Amino acid sequence: MQPAISVSQLSKVYDSGFQALHAVDLDIMNGEILALLGPNGAGKTTLISIICGIVNPTGGTVRVQGHDIVTDFRAARQLIGLVPQELHVETFETVWDTVSYSRGLFGKKPNPPLIERILKDLSLWEKKDSRILELSGGMKRRVMIAKALAHEPRILFLDEPTAGVDVELRKDMWQLVRGLREGGVTIILTTHYIEEAEEIADRVGVINKGRLILVEEKEELMRKLGKKQLTLELNAALDSLPEALARYDLDLEQGGERIVYRYDTQAERTGIGSLLADLNRAGISIKDLATEQSSLEDIFVTLVEETR
Amino acid sequence: MNFEAIKAIYFFEMARMRRTLLQSVVSPVLSTSLYFIVFGAAIGSRIEEIDGVGYGSFIVPGLMMLTLLQNSISNASFGIYFPKFVGTIYEVLSAPISFVEIVLGYVGAAATKSLILGAIILATAHLFVPIEIRHPFWMVFFLVATAVTFSLFGFIIGIWADNFEKLQLIPLLVVTPLVFLGGSFYSIQMLPEFWQKVTLANPVLYLISGFRWSFYETADVSVEVSIAMIILFLVLCIGLVWWIFRTGYKLKT
Repeated sequence: MQPAISVSQLSKVYDSGFQALHAVDLDIMNGEILALLGPNGAGKTTLISIICGIVNPTGGTVRVQGHDIVTDFRAARQLIGLVPQELHVETFETVWDTVSYSRGLFGKKPNPPLIERILKDLSLWEKKDSRILELSGGMKRRVMIAKALAHEPRILFLDEPTAGVDVELRKDMWQLVRGLREGGVTIILTTHYIEEAEEIADRVGVINKGRLILVEEKEELMRKLGKKQLTLELNAALDSLPEALARYDLDLEQGGERIVYRYDTQAERTGIGSLLADLNRAGISIKDLATEQSSLEDIFVTLVEETR
Repeated sequence: MNFEAIKAIYFFEMARMRRTLLQSVVSPVLSTSLYFIVFGAAIGSRIEEIDGVGYGSFIVPGLMMLTLLQNSISNASFGIYFPKFVGTIYEVLSAPISFVEIVLGYVGAAATKSLILGAIILATAHLFVPIEIRHPFWMVFFLVATAVTFSLFGFIIGIWADNFEKLQLIPLLVVTPLVFLGGSFYSIQMLPEFWQKVTLANPVLYLISGFRWSFYETADVSVEVSIAMIILFLVLCIGLVWWIFRTGYKLKT
């Protein structure tokens, strides 16, 4: 199946000489939620801006459902909705007017029932006649989303949608995103809240210094890169680890009351069995034990540090 | 052609005019009436007829041109500068519309506003002095061509400007002096011969002269030259706008 968006060898050098993207290749599949992670200045917004037509690429191509974003920009852009990171709103307009305007800009005939539904979904209906300057920051964010949805896009970009947003709006937003996905909309989001990506995304891409370090199914990524750790609570504190345990990657914590063992779930042998046996042999008695898997956040931090 | 988008931009801009009715319509009408009181009644009564036209009637085309030029420039420049300033330009750039459509929307709205103002001033002037329009077709031609040309020029300024000071710079320091010195309030035959020659270098002279000819058949330069000049300005502005959009100058990085 043809990807929703196909980015090929995309690079961008700004006039200042700063290279924001280095030959990025990326296929985004129809109907998926892709989370792009990366530190500030990694090139996430540049990538999105090029796909949406706001920034000119220096090299490479982007196709949206097969339509080139430069030569066939009308067909390509028609399919895309964008919620940018900054709150750019027409201060003096009413909510209704500004959302209807967005639909017109994308070449769609007016459709008041649709706009009504979008505003209701985003809890903006009561505010439809308010001027945007009267709205709170969170409400303005909702307006930006409504504008992006007004022309019924098949692909939605959310650039840091939850930055500075309260819990309730965040919850509403993810509900909306799930609803859109059920309707077949492809969603690309960037976020700093890694737990969000972990919760909602199908695939995760990591960008650092203008390079796409990896794109992977979230589960696969967790499995591949996920380290587990085993924590053993001891009955009696140890001053140091016995010689017999030197071959394990162990740390003694909590004043000797806890041993932490890190192991790779992908390895042929995790070594847990022999560790426990060795502990037993060394006469160390265990009060409790727990295992935990590293989060996407840990993975992300590791990846970014590796490419530094 | 994305007609819905042109319509959307056009009506969005026109709505801005309705919202700022006082500033957009009332203030030009007020200032025009003041010009009439000062130049027409107070000073005009001491000035003889020019080519058989009373001074008050003589300045009507000049006043209309003055308002037309200033408002076309300020409407169009502000119209495109504001989205740049508040950041909402992202939406226009990411929409499936070509630059031609963006210009049609913004410049069309700015020119429409100027034409409405022109009509209002003509009606206001009619209350003060007798007015005669001998060549209605050419009068409308000059009106529309000037409104479109200077709305394009304003659009260019709005794109070029990256702060409010720059936005005001050209209208204030270039356009206003040119309009005042271009024969809005006098015939250049009233000037010494040397200054008549200098005034011929003022592009606005040709617009005012041609426009006044369409009213009273009195002109400082021949009407053919005026028509040629306004078309030349129009082509120059279209060329510049075309270049801006081809290169993405100040709009896209």
